[in-house]
Amino acid sequence: MNSRMINWFSQSWMVLVYIFLYMPIVTLVIFSFNDSQLVTVWSHASMRWYVALMGDGDLISAVALSLKIAFFSALISVFFGVFTAFCLNRYKRFVGRTLLSSMAATPLVMPDVIVGLSLLLMLVSMQHWLGYPERGLFTILLGHALLGTAYATVVVTSRLREMDSKLDEAAMDLGCQPLQVFRLVTLPLLLPALVSAFLLTFTLSFDDVVLSSFLSGPGYSTMPMVIFSRARLGLNPTINAVATVTIVVVTCAVIASSFYTSHQERKRRREVAQAYSDSNK
Amino acid sequence: MNNMTNYLRRFFNGRHLVIGIPYLWFLMLALVPLFIVLKISVSEMESTSVSNMVSWSQGWPSIKLNFASYVFIGSDELYVKAYLSSLNYALLTTVICLVIGYPFAYFMARSPKHLQPMLLMLIMLPFWTSFLLRIYAWKTLLVSNGVINNVLMSLGIIKLPLEMMNTPFSLMVGMVYSYLPFMILPLYANLSKLDMRYLEAAADLGTSPLKAFWLITVPLSKAGIIAGAMLVFIPAVGEYVIPELLGGPNTLMIGRVLWDEFFSNNDWPMASAVAVVMILLIMLPMAIYNKYQSEQLEPKP
Amino acid sequence: MAIAPRANAVREDLLRVEGVTKIFDGIVKAVDNVSLTVATGEIFALLGGSGCGKSTLLRMLAGFEAPTQGKIFLAGEDITNLPPYQRPINMMFQSYALFPHLTVWENIAFGLRRDHMPKAQLIERVESMLSLVQLTKYAKRKPHQLSGGQQQRVALARSLAKRPKLLLLDEPLGALDKKLRETTQLELVNIIEEVGVTCVLVTHDQEEAMTMASRIAVMSEGYFLQIGSPDEVYEMPNSRQVADFIGNVNIFDGVVEEDESDHVTIRSADCLHYVGHGISGNSGMVVGVALRPEKILLSKEKPAGTFNWCEGEVTEIAYFGAYTTYHLKLKSGKVIKAQELNNTRDLSCGLTWGDSAFAQWSDLAMVVLTQ
Ligand SMILES: Nc1ncnc2c1ncn2[C@@H]1O[C@H](COP(=O)(O)OP(=O)(O)OP(=O)(O)O)[C@@H](O)[C@H]1O
Ligand SMILES: [Mg+2]
Repeated sequence: MNSRMINWFSQSWMVLVYIFLYMPIVTLVIFSFNDSQLVTVWSHASMRWYVALMGDGDLISAVALSLKIAFFSALISVFFGVFTAFCLNRYKRFVGRTLLSSMAATPLVMPDVIVGLSLLLMLVSMQHWLGYPERGLFTILLGHALLGTAYATVVVTSRLREMDSKLDEAAMDLGCQPLQVFRLVTLPLLLPALVSAFLLTFTLSFDDVVLSSFLSGPGYSTMPMVIFSRARLGLNPTINAVATVTIVVVTCAVIASSFYTSHQERKRRREVAQAYSDSNK
Repeated sequence: MNNMTNYLRRFFNGRHLVIGIPYLWFLMLALVPLFIVLKISVSEMESTSVSNMVSWSQGWPSIKLNFASYVFIGSDELYVKAYLSSLNYALLTTVICLVIGYPFAYFMARSPKHLQPMLLMLIMLPFWTSFLLRIYAWKTLLVSNGVINNVLMSLGIIKLPLEMMNTPFSLMVGMVYSYLPFMILPLYANLSKLDMRYLEAAADLGTSPLKAFWLITVPLSKAGIIAGAMLVFIPAVGEYVIPELLGGPNTLMIGRVLWDEFFSNNDWPMASAVAVVMILLIMLPMAIYNKYQSEQLEPKP
Repeated sequence: MAIAPRANAVREDLLRVEGVTKIFDGIVKAVDNVSLTVATGEIFALLGGSGCGKSTLLRMLAGFEAPTQGKIFLAGEDITNLPPYQRPINMMFQSYALFPHLTVWENIAFGLRRDHMPKAQLIERVESMLSLVQLTKYAKRKPHQLSGGQQQRVALARSLAKRPKLLLLDEPLGALDKKLRETTQLELVNIIEEVGVTCVLVTHDQEEAMTMASRIAVMSEGYFLQIGSPDEVYEMPNSRQVADFIGNVNIFDGVVEEDESDHVTIRSADCLHYVGHGISGNSGMVVGVALRPEKILLSKEKPAGTFNWCEGEVTEIAYFGAYTTYHLKLKSGKVIKAQELNNTRDLSCGLTWGDSAFAQWSDLAMVVLTQ
C-alpha cells in the first residue's frame, strides 16, 4: 500500500459516507418541488406543495406550538444545565455528587420511550394526588426541559472545564462575593456556551416526537407529532415542503454560526500575534 | 466572631441552594419517575388507573405486589423474542456504525487541519436537522415505487422493483443512518487528540503501518470506541420511531411493544414491566457509559 | 544585587502568622506549624522547592484556604476566618488570571468598582495605575491583545489598584521567559518600592528571591528551615538543606578536633579545616563544613601551612564567561566545585583536564553546620 492509494481510499470512504448522510436530505428537498401527487415520481417543478403548506392549518398551528415549546424548554434547560454543570464542576465533594452526575447523564442514554413513559406515569400520579398538572403544553415542556438539561449540562461543563478557576479566585480577591463572582465573571465567560446550549436544546425539543407523544394531551400536537402521524400512513408531499423549509433555516443558521466562530477565532489569533510583535519592536 | 458565623451561614446556605436546585430537578424528573415505573409494574390495572399498592387493613399497611406482568413477560414468547431481536438489531447497528465510522473518524482526524472544522460541521449538520424528517426521507427512497427503485429501473439495472421497505434491511439503513454521527463524533474527538509521535516511534521501530494501526491507534482510541458504542447501542435498543416508520409490521422491537402496550392496550403495568426489564438489559452498558461520562465531567485535576 | 532593606522604614509588624498548619484531606500536611511576622514595608519571600507548601501558605493569607490550625493577624486584627473579599489583601496570580472579557482598563477598575468608589476618583486611580505600569496606551485592549510582559504589568496594576495593606505575589515572573524576567524583576521591585506596599512573594527561584526580597524564608516540606536577609541565608545557612538549596556549596563531613572560643579545627577525609570563630559545639562532634565554590582559590603550587587546603585532580571545566567552574576530584573520591573569576583574558590559573591542583581558602570562608 503506498500513500497515494491510502489517500485515494480514505477520500473515497469519506465521500461515500457524506453521500450516505446527505442523499436523503437532498432527495427530500428536490422532491418538495415536484408537481406530482406521487412523492417519488418526478413530473415537473412547481411550488404546489408550498402553497398547500400555507393552507395547512393543522401543520401551521403545530409548528407554532413546537416553536413555543422549543423556546421555553431551551430556556429552562439552559437554566438548570448551568446549575448542574456548575455544581459538578466547582464543588468537588458533596454528598450525592455521583448520584447527581448519573442522574444528569441518564436522559442522554435512556431510550426515549422509557423517559417518556416514566415521566408520564409520574405526572399522572401527581395529578392523581394534587389535581395538577393537566396534560398538555406544560407537561411536554417539562419532558423536553429534562432532556435538554442533560444536553445543556454537557455543553456548559465542557466550557467550565476550559475556564481557569483562578479567575474566580481573582474576582473574590478583588472583593466579589460568591454571587458577584458568578454574575461578573463566570456568566459572561459562559455566554458563548449558553448560546450553543440554547440552540442545541431548542433543536432537540423542536425535533422530539416520542416524549411529546407520551406527554401531550388532547389538542396539543407538536409539529413532529403531526408529521409522524402522516408519515406513518404513507408518503405525503407537504412533508417534503416542511422539511425543506426547516432544513434551509437550520442549515443557514449552522453555517452562519460556524463562519462566525471561525472568523472570531482567526481574528483572535491575529491579535495575539500582533501583541507580541508590537512589544518586540 | 459574629461576623464569621454570619459568613459561614450565608456561604453554606448559598452553596446548598446551588446544589439543591439541580438536585431537586433531576430527582423529580429523572429518578422519582423511574421508581414510579417500578411501582406501577408490580401493581394491578384497574379500569382507569392502577390499584393502590399499599392498602390499609386494621391499621397496618399491607403491600400487595403483583408480579403477573413479569411472569407474563417471561412466559410469552413474543416478549422474549422482541427483547432478543432488539438487542440483536442494536448490536448490529453498533457494529456497522463502528465499521463505517471508525475509518471515517480516523481519516477525518488525519485530514488537513484547516479542513477539519468544515468536515466536522458537515457531520453535525444532519444532526441539527430533524431526525424524523430524515427517517421519512429514507422512506421515500426505499419504497417499492421509491426513488432508488425508479432510478435503478430507468437505468435498466433491475427489471422488478426491489422490496427494500419494511424489511430488516430498511430498518438497519435507518438505524445506521441516524446513529452514525453519534459514533463518529466521540471517535473523532478521541483520534484527533492522538499523538502522532507514537506512530512515528512505531514506524521507527520497524512496525508496518497496518500493524501499528492495530497495535497502537486502536488501543489508544479505546475510550472513544466505548463512548461511541454506548451512545449508539443504548438508545438503539429502545428505538421506536425508526422501526415504526421503516421496519414494517414484521420487525419486532421492544420499544414498539412498550408503545403498543401503553397506547393501544392501555396496560400500564405491562408497559412498565417491559420498561423495567429493558432498563435491566441496558444497565450494564449504561454503567459503563456513566463511568466514562462522569470521568468526562470531572473537573480537571 | 540584593536591594538593601529600607532602613528608615517604620518597623512595625503588619502580618503575623501564628502556628499555622494546613492539612489536606486529613493526610497531606502541606503547611506545618509555621510562624512568621512581616514588618510594614518589607518584601518577604517564601522560597522553596516544588510542592513545599509555598502556594498553600500564600493562599491561606489571601483567604482561599482556611488553616487547619493557627491564626493569621493583619495589623493586629485576626483575619483567619475572613473570606477573601473582606481582606485588605490583594494577590497577583501566577498566570495573572486577567479577566479575558474585560479590557485592561476594566480589569484594573474591577476591584475599585466592588468598593463603590466614586467615579471621578476611580478614573483618576485607574489612570495613575496605568501610568505607573506604563500601559496608558493599552487601556482599551483585551488581555489576549497584550504580550506576556504587558499582561504581567496589568496584573500588578490590578492588584495594586485597591491600595491593599498587603500584596501577595505567586511566582510573579514564572510565566515569563528568562531574558524578560531579569528586566521585569527590577521593574517590579521599583514599582513596589514606589508604592511602598508590603509584599509576600512566593518563588522557587533563589536568584529571584535574593534580588527582590528584604527577607527570605526557606521552606521545605511545609515548615521553615531558616528566615533571614538574603545575605544571612547565603552566608550563614543554618543547615545543610539551606546551604544546599541556596546556591552551590561543597560540604565536607568532619569531626571537631579542637574547640576553642576563638577558633575550631575540624578534620575531614581530605583536609584539616581551621575556622576562625567559635561554634556552638564540642570536640568530637560530627559536623559538616560548608564552603561556597567562589570562596576557593585554585593554584598549581602547594600552599604553605597545614590548614584549609586540599589537593585533587581536575575532572571537569565549565566556562561561563565571567567565571569558570572546575570540578576537583579529591583523594577520598569526593568531588568539589571551585569557581574562579576570569579577571584576565587568558584563563587565569591555566589548569586543564587531568591536572593536579590545590584548592585553598581563608579561615572565615566556611560555615560549620551542626545539623
Ligand atoms: N487542594 C489541595 N488538595 C490536596 N492537596 C493539596 C492541595 N493543594 C496543595 N496540595 C498539596 O500540598 C502540597 C503543597 O502544595 P503547594 O501548592 O503549596 O506547593 P508549592 O510549594 O506551591 O509548589 P510549586 O512550586 O510546585 O507550586 C503538595 O504536596 C500538594 O500536593
Ligand atoms: Mg505553587
